[in-house]
Amino acid sequence: MEKNDKQPKQLKEALFERIEAEKVCPKPRLLFQSRECLVWFLWILSIIIGALAVAVSLFVIMHHQYDFYEATHENFLTFLVEVLPFAWFFVFGLIAYVSIYNLRHTAHGYRYPVWVIISSSLVLSFAGGSTLQMFGLGFTVDKILGDNMHMYMSQEKLEQRVWQNPEDGRLLGKQVLSTTAPTTTVIFEDSVGKRWQMDVSELEEHEVVLLRSEMKVKLIGKTSNPDFKIFHACGAFPWMMDRETTLEELNEERKAFVEKVSSHAIKARQLFFKEKVASGTAESLKESICAEIAPVKRMPIRDLDA
Amino acid sequence: MEQILKLPPSDEELVRMTLRDKEHFGALVDRYQAKLTRYIARLGVRDPEDQMDVLQDVFLKTYRNLNDFDTSLKFSSWVYRIAHNEAVSWFRKRSVRPEGHLIGDSEEMISFLSSKEETADAEFDKTINSKEVNEAMLKIDEKYREVLILRFFEHKEYDEISDILKIPLGSVGTLLHRGKKQLASALNQEAIRI
Repeated sequence: MEKNDKQPKQLKEALFERIEAEKVCPKPRLLFQSRECLVWFLWILSIIIGALAVAVSLFVIMHHQYDFYEATHENFLTFLVEVLPFAWFFVFGLIAYVSIYNLRHTAHGYRYPVWVIISSSLVLSFAGGSTLQMFGLGFTVDKILGDNMHMYMSQEKLEQRVWQNPEDGRLLGKQVLSTTAPTTTVIFEDSVGKRWQMDVSELEEHEVVLLRSEMKVKLIGKTSNPDFKIFHACGAFPWMMDRETTLEELNEERKAFVEKVSSHAIKARQLFFKEKVASGTAESLKESICAEIAPVKRMPIRDLDA
Repeated sequence: MEQILKLPPSDEELVRMTLRDKEHFGALVDRYQAKLTRYIARLGVRDPEDQMDVLQDVFLKTYRNLNDFDTSLKFSSWVYRIAHNEAVSWFRKRSVRPEGHLIGDSEEMISFLSSKEETADAEFDKTINSKEVNEAMLKIDEKYREVLILRFFEHKEYDEISDILKIPLGSVGTLLHRGKKQLASALNQEAIRI
């Protein structure tokens, strides 16, 4: 470096000497254009990934089996904590940061206020995510990831984990032996391959038919004898996580669940008053095992009255 | 014989000409050497030898990246941006704090600060000298100092400052407003101390 060139002309001379000596040439325009394209490409990519994250999050939030939360969780808060897609929220946050960073580093990105860049990235991701979810992509992405990644907890896997819990009165599986003769006991195989003697005496006719169809179902009830694998069924509902469900279907399912639990709660009330009138013992309550199951106790009165 | 007045080529034309023939780059160097020397000195590169080193790097970088020059910007904004970045990286390499070198311009700054309503109601003593302004400038945050230098010493417009420092236009106004407040406060403290 020319340390002693203090005069204007000397600087110019020193500069040209350096240009000659180091064979400095202007970098090709294509290089700068490619770099700019790359930054925009990364920004678009981050918006797309952000949109996917939003789509899956919306699917998880909107289509999660919140209609059974009284059966699966102590309250709505514990349900939310378990089912909210925190991993996707994190991915979305990260991608939003990347997209904002990229946009700031385009040729004119610095001219826009940060809030404009943040809100444009978020709005685009939300708009894209909502559109993708409308076409069912949230469900598809969640399922594909769940099927192919061991570590990824898809909604299907999460639901299976939640419903395969006989100690808490939930079972997932299908009836394996059918009989044409009227019976109150059927053989049921759960999702981990264990066989149960299923008491279906408190199920309604359409639920028995559903079981008999040998389709995968989820059951609420009570394990009468865990050693002998005896389960008392109090409600049977179709398993819908193997396909995308509409909000109407979920609403119908919620309605069916509330009605089912209500009918058991009514039985519980009737038994309670009968017991009071007769000054009887707890023996009368044994007439309905389903009147004692956890969802009956957890469901708010207004839902029962509804 | 009719004499035709020929205007000197603009910076942008010189860039185009340089890309065809590097000898034209000398004209750009001539045009900006003094301005940039003053600018990097104001940013804190005080030693003439250091200034020459930084300037060589600035012009070399400018030459190397001529194809990256965005014609929607002014060439001066672009070259000031390069100079700013080089000065900042020079401080980082040397791990030194900027030392102000504003002497000679301070009266203009004081008069501007005193004439505007957004000066945090500060009435400046007209006898405040350049040394006090320099000391006050060194006390304020760097982000404010560089905006104040560009606005009041280099006489750059808001959009030019935005392009040089790569910050939104709105932030330029905010930084200037806050910078003036901080400078006014620093100058008052100086006056009290004296």
